[in-house]
Amino acid sequence: MSHEQTEFAEFFQASWEPCLRAVIASTGSVQLAEDQVAEAFARAWLSWRKVRQHPAPRAWVVRTALNAGVSWWRRRARELPLAGHDVTAPRDVDDGLDAALLTALRHLPDRQREVIALRVFLELDTDTIAAHLGVAPGTVRVHLSRAVRTLRHELCPSAPMEVNQ
Amino acid sequence: MNDNDELSDGAMLRDSAVLSAVRESISGLPMPAAPRLEAITARGRARQRRRVGGLSIASVAGAGACAALVVGLAGGWSSPAGLAPKAAPRHDASPIQLAAFSVVAGPHGTTTLTLYPGQVAKPSAVRQALAKHGIPALVTAGEFCRTADQPAPGVGDVVVLPQQPPRPVGGTGPVRTGAVRTGAVRTGAPGPVRTGGPGPIVIYGSRIPSGVKLSIGYRQNSQDREISFSLIKAGEPLTCTSIPDNGPHPGD
Repeated sequence: MSHEQTEFAEFFQASWEPCLRAVIASTGSVQLAEDQVAEAFARAWLSWRKVRQHPAPRAWVVRTALNAGVSWWRRRARELPLAGHDVTAPRDVDDGLDAALLTALRHLPDRQREVIALRVFLELDTDTIAAHLGVAPGTVRVHLSRAVRTLRHELCPSAPMEVNQ
Repeated sequence: MNDNDELSDGAMLRDSAVLSAVRESISGLPMPAAPRLEAITARGRARQRRRVGGLSIASVAGAGACAALVVGLAGGWSSPAGLAPKAAPRHDASPIQLAAFSVVAGPHGTTTLTLYPGQVAKPSAVRQALAKHGIPALVTAGEFCRTADQPAPGVGDVVVLPQQPPRPVGGTGPVRTGAVRTGAVRTGAPGPVRTGGPGPIVIYGSRIPSGVKLSIGYRQNSQDREISFSLIKAGEPLTCTSIPDNGPHPGD
């Protein structure tokens, strides 16, 4: 096994679970997330020379997994009339997932949800998230702040909703 | 925990508490085990082949060349010739050699296996095609092999038949599919499953644990497409029973 292959194997073993958790938070389905993350790691393996140079390879995997999910749904929508033998559509909520939390996460805009996933499950700092998303650190902080505010309100409706001046 | 950390009415969560709540709600879930690295790399290679194959097919079509399609004789299902062996259009007097099977990557990380009627697929060719998709398999024609212990998960979690969900017969015995019903079929049937109907078979290769293979047995009678599946432990002694041309095989 070459050095690069060994390096990818170590990355895969160490990153599978945090990436999976991050994608579960976005998709709300363990089953769907599992497939999307596997697809993302397969693409990472194909592009490992590029991915290993990325400031946050795990973030690359998560974003690729989420994009793979979007692509899959678009493709499935086009093929639906012929998809007589297709696989199960993912359930809305998997057993064991907090339905209230998932609902709250789903109410977030995509970018806010991604920032939450990168911060919470990949434990990336603001600068790294900003570099990964190609935005300013201040923009990340705004996304995070708005996401937390929305989540707080969803999880604790009686909490006062802050109003932007 | 101070008042700001409480999730009670009227309390206000601090930012860190909100993020902790998100983290803990997902972190408490039992996570599926990571697939084998080999399954990931095989998936990557399959993706690479699809991209190269797609370009080749587009080039051929653009040049106005005669496109060869492999036609599922009964199922009416087709696949690009480049993805199926022995599918070459010929313009001489010799018999046309139709594809006996096809193995293609499907959506959602699946692999689709189709055995066409009228042709007997060479087991070694099927096995090699599945291996390229990261699916370790034992493929036999005219017999069906199992190990004494059937490893988890249920074969129904790995193989999705084109018909109704496999119906257990006698608990752990083989199951037979019922009337055709398109759509999703996934069960955790512990025993072998068998299909006798038309249509492609969807395989979740990434769900096959390490040290486990998918045993596939089909009849040598080319007009009969009954196929049996079971998960077997690699390296363990096999019990193989012949599959007669008609009716269930011994032990069913």
